[in-house]
Amino acid sequence: MTDGPSIEAVGLTRRFGDFTAVDRVFFEVSRGEIFGYLGANGAGKSTTIRMLTGLLTPTSGEARVAGYDVATSPESVKASIGYMSQKFSLYLDLPVWENLLFFGGAYGLWGDALKVRAGEILELTGLVDFRGATTGSLPGGIRQRLALGCAILHRPGVVFLDEPTAGVDPVARRRFWKLIRELSAAGTTVFVTTHYLDEAEYCRRIGLMADGRLVALDTPAALKRAWVPDRVLVARGRNLLVAAAALAARPGVAAAEPFGAGLHVRVSPDRWDAASVRAALGAAGASDVQVEEAEPSLEDVFLAVVGRPQTAPVEAGP
Amino acid sequence: MKERLRRFVVRVGAMSAKEVLHIQRDPRTLYLALVMPVVLLLLFGYGVSFDLDRMPLAVADADRTRASRELVNAFVEPGEFALARELATPEEAGALFRRGKALAALVVPRDYERDLSRGDRVELQLLVDGADPVSANQVLSKADAIVRAVSQARAAAAGFVGQPPLQVDIWTRYNPEGRSAVFFVPGLAAYLMAIGAVLLTALTVAGEWERGSMEQLFASPVGRLEIILGKLLPYLALGMLQLLLVLGVGTTAFDVPVRGSPVLIFVLGLLFLVSMLGQGLLISVVTKNQLVATQAGALSSLIPSLLLSGMVFPIENMPLPLRMLSRVIPARYLVHGLRGTLLKGNGLAEVWTDLAALAVIGLLVLALATRRFKRRLA
Repeated sequence: MTDGPSIEAVGLTRRFGDFTAVDRVFFEVSRGEIFGYLGANGAGKSTTIRMLTGLLTPTSGEARVAGYDVATSPESVKASIGYMSQKFSLYLDLPVWENLLFFGGAYGLWGDALKVRAGEILELTGLVDFRGATTGSLPGGIRQRLALGCAILHRPGVVFLDEPTAGVDPVARRRFWKLIRELSAAGTTVFVTTHYLDEAEYCRRIGLMADGRLVALDTPAALKRAWVPDRVLVARGRNLLVAAAALAARPGVAAAEPFGAGLHVRVSPDRWDAASVRAALGAAGASDVQVEEAEPSLEDVFLAVVGRPQTAPVEAGP
Repeated sequence: MKERLRRFVVRVGAMSAKEVLHIQRDPRTLYLALVMPVVLLLLFGYGVSFDLDRMPLAVADADRTRASRELVNAFVEPGEFALARELATPEEAGALFRRGKALAALVVPRDYERDLSRGDRVELQLLVDGADPVSANQVLSKADAIVRAVSQARAAAAGFVGQPPLQVDIWTRYNPEGRSAVFFVPGLAAYLMAIGAVLLTALTVAGEWERGSMEQLFASPVGRLEIILGKLLPYLALGMLQLLLVLGVGTTAFDVPVRGSPVLIFVLGLLFLVSMLGQGLLISVVTKNQLVATQAGALSSLIPSLLLSGMVFPIENMPLPLRMLSRVIPARYLVHGLRGTLLKGNGLAEVWTDLAALAVIGLLVLALATRRFKRRLA
């Protein structure tokens, strides 16, 4: 499994009766890459993960994970991956340490080797102080790090994380992502689904799912360039709300929406720039206006992708 | 191959060790499994006895002679009956029955002594409260025995020599004193083990589904046989401990004999537990929900083990459909086998049918549960 991609999906499809949850998905994830899988609820993210982890058989198409075919040798796939399911299912009545020992045992580790490895995981995840604490008494952020620890005890080459940060506070999320980057730097491939678009910026590449189809796949920067050709500006000043409506009605203005204390403006780069927007807002009644160029966010990309009419699925490699 | 076996053992061991920790963390499980049987056994042993003594007896003695007093004493003195009230007329008995003050009323006719000494035929009347057939039967059989004894004694005193023309000797074997403890300990063992095994496995496996950890397990290399074995082994041990406890209390507190081979008893218990654990597993695999699994588990283990196992009601007296149904109730074979080994000293030659039936049911249920237990999500 040294050469070739860590994960490879070729026309991967899953139907439940008449409903197609995942529709002809193609992608490759190379070794050590952090691959983000984005989409609304029900877009097919979890179904894709379950096929890649050998939990669900694909209806058609194929996938190889760590060099093994998920349909024909799911057992080999299971032995070489780590999986953290949506509601990280730890045993809450058991202490942190016992959870680690159990999942280690489930992957065939035992004796001193298991204890040494579990100790390493405590260090790595920063849970040494919580060794004997009952898991159920710990806050979500700590449980989430423990769940990740349980998923990587057996040193898997590929880790699947299904919405690992759902319901966890921002500080804990940041700490968690630091762990993921460390894993990736050490050569582990990370396949992660998330709702949080700010987190997706940490991924080397992002796949966007909509209605079971992979509609966009690229690095965050390339996605922004491709999907948000508009110039994004942030305006601050007084009486902006009144002026916003007037600005939005002008040709070449894609959007002018309140954003925090200011105004988020997307305009055609051929017709508008910071100075002309500032002038237009001033003419429409705003005062003390300052306008700055801003980088489009992944949220802009997501809205652009999901909002557009559906076309054929994207076929793309790394 | 050796490496595969080692991994198999490690994974089953990890599952079992985790299960033992769950049990330790929740003392209610242990309480349910080990304290309840002892409490129930003592309750049954001391409180709920089918042996009645000092049954309240009202007496309407119209004769009031030495002979009639002797007759009443024969009823009351050995302790079988207790004199509840002297009645002026037999009609007063009805009111006593209604208030539960007496179970029976003995009516001695006027001229009892005179007719008796003349050698005439004398008719005694016994009015019995038939509302509770178990008690009524005991009243009848005991009264019958007492009257028979009294008339034989009188016949001998009157110089009647030789045997009465017809004499029935009743010789009860295996439980000559008719003690209920000896009869119900095997039944109770089956009942308690059935509830424990079915409920606890149903709960623990359904719990993994509810928690979502089953999905986590499925995504790991732990096989379904490993999950099943790892889950069942600790409860098998707990069940055997229950059997030991029930038999221990039964033999020490209630003098239940152990006439047969302990190994045979052990094997009977083991096979019974396997089929009950399999039943619990099947329920949880089908329901995947702790609440439903509890209800289905209780319903499918408690009621059949209590009513159809022969623990309380003899299977021979059941209508045909129930008799057929009882054939698939594992408790029936355990109760039958245990009574045989404990009381009669039966060996493999007699008990093998029970063992075979338990093995077949156990294998079928486990196979069905393993089949239904898919390691894939859909």
